[in-house]
Amino acid sequence: MKMQENIDKMIEEALNSVDDAQRAAPRPFCLPVSMHGMARGTESVWEKAGRFIARPSIAFTGLCLIVLLNVMVVMFNKKSDTATVAEQTVQTQSDEFSYTAITIYDNDNTP
Amino acid sequence: MEQPELITQLKLGDESAFTKLVDEYQDMVYNTALGIVQQADDADDITQEVFIQIYQSISSFKGDSKFSTWLYRITLSKALDHEKKKKRKKRFGFVQSLFGADGEEQSHPVEFNHPGVQMEKKEKANELFNALKQIPDKQRIAFTLHKLEGQSYQEVAEIMNTSLYAVESLMGRAKANLRTALKKYYDINNPG
Repeated sequence: MKMQENIDKMIEEALNSVDDAQRAAPRPFCLPVSMHGMARGTESVWEKAGRFIARPSIAFTGLCLIVLLNVMVVMFNKKSDTATVAEQTVQTQSDEFSYTAITIYDNDNTP
Repeated sequence: MEQPELITQLKLGDESAFTKLVDEYQDMVYNTALGIVQQADDADDITQEVFIQIYQSISSFKGDSKFSTWLYRITLSKALDHEKKKKRKKRFGFVQSLFGADGEEQSHPVEFNHPGVQMEKKEKANELFNALKQIPDKQRIAFTLHKLEGQSYQEVAEIMNTSLYAVESLMGRAKANLRTALKKYYDINNPG
């Protein structure tokens, strides 16, 4: 019981600890830095664009897109390579075994 | 220089008016930001950002509310944004550490000592500030403005753009939540 009273007293003391607090003051060179910041505010479009691109989220998304595009290009090239090889194989076979049908006219013209 | 004249001069881009503005309001802005972020360096950065923002958007100030109310709103919005950014950075800290980035700057100091608090109350105030981190943003803002900035409930209501009744309710809930957080802390740290 005594302990509970003690804790309640400490809670009230903590809640009232900032009641008569003075205002905290910033570092004395607040103004010059603000002026510098304002000068920074007049940056060019290229500087703004550079800062935008340099943001971690934008840079990471850009990197992911580049990797994705590369993967897509590699996959596409692989697919078209396979198709060309298959076409070439058929062509070679037809050349080698002379699949071309001999027509009736070819027979007539034979001596 | 009177306040309306100061605002007019600011709108005209007068640098001396800006100097006057910083002189007059820097403690107010810094103290409010410090109450929210509880870190001197971060509060300094927020103070800079607030004054830059004011300089850039003074033309949008129509005078519908008090100038100090507008200033408080900008400060609170910047302070909360800053906190969100920090939390996000902390959450993705492990990713950065994988790429070899130095995660040291993201660590928060455990203790925060408000420079305006009396020496004999520093310890209790530190416990209160730790508990403040655990309550919702709106309650924290109302509590900070009322207790640290000495604003009345009516002024807090104007700053937060809400009703007097809502502020009373926020303060009631803030105190209740702070009591719960502090009780938990004292139960753990004073078991005997």
